[in-house]
Amino acid sequence: MLQKQSRKVRIDSMVDSLKRQTRRHFLNRCPLGLAGLATASILGTSVSDRVIAGERVPADSRSRGRVKHVIYLHMAGSPSQFELFDYKPVLAKQHLQPCPDSLLANQKFAFIKGHPQILGPQFEFEQCQQTGRYFSSLVPELRKISEDLTFVRSMSTDQFNHAPAELFLHTGSPRPGSASFGSWALYGLGSENENVPGFIVFVSGGTNPAAGKSVWGSGFLPGIYQGVQCRSFGDPILFLSDPPGMDRSSRRASLDSLSRLNRIHAADFGDPETQTRIEQYELAFRMQVAAPEAFDLGTETAETLEMYGARPGENLFANNCLMARRLVERGVRFVQLFDWGWDVHGTGPHDDLNHQLVKKCSEMDRPVAALIRDLKQRGLLEDTLVIWGGEFGRTSMNEARNGSKYFGRDHHPHCFTMFFAGGGMRPGFDYGATDEFGYFVTENRMSVRDLQATLLHMLGLDPYRLSFPFQGLNHRWIGPTDEGRINQDLLA
Amino acid sequence: MKLRNTTNKSLDRNRPGWFPLESTFWWLCGMGLHVTFWGVSISAQDQTELRVDYSQQVRPILAKHCFACHGPDANHRESGLALHTAELAYARADSGEFGIVPGQPEASGVLIRIESDDDDERMPPSDHGAPLAAGEIDIIRRWIVQGASYEQHWAYRPMQRPEIPAVNQRGWPRNEIDYFVLAKLEQNGLAPAGRASPERLVRRLHLDLIGLPPDPEVVRRFAEEPSETAYEELVDRLLDNPAYGEHWARMWLDLARYADSQGYAEDHYREIWLYRDWVIEAFNQDKPFDEFSREQLAGDLLPDPTEAQLIATAFHRNTMTNSEGGTDDEEFRHAAIVDRVNTTATVWLGTTMACAQCHSHKYDPISIEDYYGLFAIFDQTEDADHYDERPVLQRYTPEQLQDRARLDAEISALRAQREQTASEQDQGVLDQRIKDLQAALQAIRPLTVPIMRELDDNHRRETRLAIGGAFSNKGELVAARLWSEFSRELGERPTRLDLANWLFAEARPLTARVAANRHWEKIFGRGLVETSEDFGSQGSLPSHPELLDWLAAKLEADGWSLKKFVKMLVMSETYRQDSRTTAEKLARDPQNVWLSRGARYRLTAEQIRDTALAASGLLSPKMFGPPVKPPQPKSGLTAAFGGSLDWETSPGEDRYRRGIYTMIRRTNLYPSFQAFDATNRTVCTVRRMNSNTPVAAFVTLNDPVYVECARALGRSARDHRVESVHDGLVFAFRRVLARDPSAEEVGELQSLWERQVMHFRERVQDAAALVGVEGEADLPYAEVVELAAWTVIGNVLLNLDEALTRN
Repeated sequence: MLQKQSRKVRIDSMVDSLKRQTRRHFLNRCPLGLAGLATASILGTSVSDRVIAGERVPADSRSRGRVKHVIYLHMAGSPSQFELFDYKPVLAKQHLQPCPDSLLANQKFAFIKGHPQILGPQFEFEQCQQTGRYFSSLVPELRKISEDLTFVRSMSTDQFNHAPAELFLHTGSPRPGSASFGSWALYGLGSENENVPGFIVFVSGGTNPAAGKSVWGSGFLPGIYQGVQCRSFGDPILFLSDPPGMDRSSRRASLDSLSRLNRIHAADFGDPETQTRIEQYELAFRMQVAAPEAFDLGTETAETLEMYGARPGENLFANNCLMARRLVERGVRFVQLFDWGWDVHGTGPHDDLNHQLVKKCSEMDRPVAALIRDLKQRGLLEDTLVIWGGEFGRTSMNEARNGSKYFGRDHHPHCFTMFFAGGGMRPGFDYGATDEFGYFVTENRMSVRDLQATLLHMLGLDPYRLSFPFQGLNHRWIGPTDEGRINQDLLA
Repeated sequence: MKLRNTTNKSLDRNRPGWFPLESTFWWLCGMGLHVTFWGVSISAQDQTELRVDYSQQVRPILAKHCFACHGPDANHRESGLALHTAELAYARADSGEFGIVPGQPEASGVLIRIESDDDDERMPPSDHGAPLAAGEIDIIRRWIVQGASYEQHWAYRPMQRPEIPAVNQRGWPRNEIDYFVLAKLEQNGLAPAGRASPERLVRRLHLDLIGLPPDPEVVRRFAEEPSETAYEELVDRLLDNPAYGEHWARMWLDLARYADSQGYAEDHYREIWLYRDWVIEAFNQDKPFDEFSREQLAGDLLPDPTEAQLIATAFHRNTMTNSEGGTDDEEFRHAAIVDRVNTTATVWLGTTMACAQCHSHKYDPISIEDYYGLFAIFDQTEDADHYDERPVLQRYTPEQLQDRARLDAEISALRAQREQTASEQDQGVLDQRIKDLQAALQAIRPLTVPIMRELDDNHRRETRLAIGGAFSNKGELVAARLWSEFSRELGERPTRLDLANWLFAEARPLTARVAANRHWEKIFGRGLVETSEDFGSQGSLPSHPELLDWLAAKLEADGWSLKKFVKMLVMSETYRQDSRTTAEKLARDPQNVWLSRGARYRLTAEQIRDTALAASGLLSPKMFGPPVKPPQPKSGLTAAFGGSLDWETSPGEDRYRRGIYTMIRRTNLYPSFQAFDATNRTVCTVRRMNSNTPVAAFVTLNDPVYVECARALGRSARDHRVESVHDGLVFAFRRVLARDPSAEEVGELQSLWERQVMHFRERVQDAAALVGVEGEADLPYAEVVELAAWTVIGNVLLNLDEALTRN
């Protein structure tokens, strides 16, 4: 008996010392709040240790760093700017007239062949009284919150196929293998609530984005920074539920035993990783309680559900918008929504402007407006940045693939429109302009690199110094060159 | 004074194209080790007289602080000063001053700048980096005083076969490795750990050599007589076990970025598993590493290549294909060639070439011409991002060949018969039969595998520099050539075969070091060069440079036999050390750089799956063949422009196959593998990360695959409770951990078992659900309750830290 007790004392003191070690580990390596995340290592060598040896995550001293949370709404496939926000009367006037030669010189299209025709906007536009902006009839709710929105009408990319363009926008490289925005944000800022993953991804529309999981992957960053894809049915986080027939008391009892056995082992072998694993299992246990609560839309009022158009239990973009607000409320750093179905080529009613785009907008307009209103009324919009956009723009011309009678627009990298709300963006402000055909940027071009630099700056991170060493190079989200510029004009 | 006048001009702060990518991190890794090493072994007084080592001490400092603007990239060189070669560093810079004057620190502009207190004069400029630390400046000063001699980067130098060092503790070493390791331990005031227990050694050997846990019977036999002979026999048996190839192929397939889909948006199925099987067989046959490499890089260019040598060339057909509508095939063909160059450089040369796509490398001697010279070698194959993956090799199975022969014979017979037939009606009947048989013949679809095939002389491509790395921005013509660092004579139009031969001839010192280090890393958990993917100046320095050279030379001398090499590693006493550590060792050497204890690290994603299946008796031993689809949760999603991401679980034993056979779809990696850091195989991966997260805990706790394992393990434990529950617990414990539990451990499990029996007595429905027998009639109540408790035990055992760890 005595022997057993003394062994227990020895184990406890050993485990305590390991705990202190693990904690010191964290404090040293996580100057800006990485504590609370799990550890990662390369084949037994803790990666986080390597962060100690490297530079601290560089804060951007010039930034007020107002943004604490990001909700990124990606309309996968890329919506048509001409049917939503960019009112171009010249297109209406020249509807189905041959496109001017000046737009075709040295141009390459994904699908357009021969000499295409101009395509007029397919919907009526109405001006917002407060901001003077035009909005099409497809987005009436967004028009009503126009004062809260910041538009960039001069976005431009150099990729015009979906997968590479999505990768470029989200990971900074058109090829897979690099870290996504959410991963960088989590790497730089850490998590506020360790009981829920810090970077959560939802996919609606029934289809993954074109680049698959790589667009929320952590690339060369440790795996703990990758987005956790959550489902709208079954377990929101994969394998969150205990096996059938195992209730909480049984799980608790088995985790207690597991933990005691692991502590015996930790005392014997002295490896801090064992202590970390014990903690990760405890975190998992807490997450099993916290996550279902966070993901349960059933606790929202009928009024809120109505505002978003959310219907608990279904896989809707609207549900995911409401989920995003719930998660941000619980301290989740980064919520990424991908909604499929915006690739409006016009080969048939399933991908044209007059049917498919109408359907997609009816699913998007209300919940996005509701999300921004809701964040605002709860005081969350101050430090939450909402981003809306696709991966590139659409052409001013009708695609008419194989003589299709349905109207649609081809991929267009030279300009597209994104909007933002909250997080210190200048509300009601419009940045950049395009020519009368909406074909080329005429003022204040904003490249994907500029956007990336600006977004990191808004998070209080230095885009030029936030880097991770991999294969001999300090990789950055903004890429190897300094071409990306922080756009101060956008900031309030 | 002359210097001052030129200061402003030569120190222009707003240089365009500056790259603020200092590699403080790698530097610290390298120097951190270094400082420990020197700090421990050498007194301060000695240091002023001690010869400074250019590679180990000086070059890392120059690379970190200087090379970005004064290095190999001539297009971004400031003030006409470059410091990476003696010739340039000793020359007069634009300002008229000399950067480095050997033996004369006071005349060396570099030293004056780095020591300066004047913000306008000091290098590096304040907006580009922090001033050098006093210790760094001291090293530069001493180096200049000692003559500022340059030498080739350590990794490129000819291999030495160093002397075996002398050691004090002469009884410890068992083979040459141990002398090198012990010498370093003694220098650092550390002592090796004792030998691991026989049980742990058996498990360690199994996990390292075949990736599976041992049979408890094998453990028992070895533990009874753990002799040197028995150990060696065990090693030999494992090296001969076909599971060896399955285990080691995983590592190679990460490098080869092998997947069963094309990647990008549509991510269609790609039939290329014959290549995966080729790799497994090559490891099992111990195909020498040079031959193994040559066949993969250029099997098609060998004289009269065999079918297997052609299949080997699928190595570089693992690049992604973009079949999204509206893509420019040339763009993605170009991307594939870039990937082939980068992958080849990473796999064989441990070198990151990617930087030189856009500009000459900032730190390593790789010019943009070197890059596109290699690019041109790879630019001459037929494949061009085609939807159908051509060119492919077709292969009929033996059964298919028989069927084809039979049909051919029947068709010929019918044709002959038709010749003899006069009646038109009979001819018609025969024609129809022939047609049917031809259709049947057509329907026999061969297996295909994409392969490399060189364009003929009339269709060779003209390779041009891609300016800024953009495929459509063509620069000047470039000729195929090998990397100038190892190739003084560039040769005329080298082919992939020349490249493969060059890797094992002129470039051999680097190739051998990289390969030796990678295998060391897979066994010891950490490479002698920690950055096993980067042997360039930004990578870490070897912890045991002499040992690395000795190993590299040995690998070559042994005819590049990887089995001999791996055997040598596991036969060492270094390998056999106990992995227990003490607070003192942990404090002095937290990463176990000096190898004063056995390695301890988490298993790979595939191993975690394989060991759980093996321990629970479910693992199928079936080898080879098409990828399989074990149970995976539904996502309810399709790939963009492609089919469903969900799959029907493979029937029969295919759901229990080793992880290496699991279908890898690039846009949707198998979720439980993703949780344990497997790669999605889009890019060449040398080292996987090892994370430790709650999301991973969910997999082994709750994934139905692991619940099934827990049930099966629990059931066999129940079946083995010969006399008591205790016996069953010991049985299950041995199956998972290959050792006997302590009294305390078995007591803990027994207590849990008893409490769970009580728990499930009150909840029989739950018990039936957990055991997976819901709805089955007339199950004895007590049995179901006990099985539920055993399932909980199985679940706990499979989640033990020790179960997930190679110890």
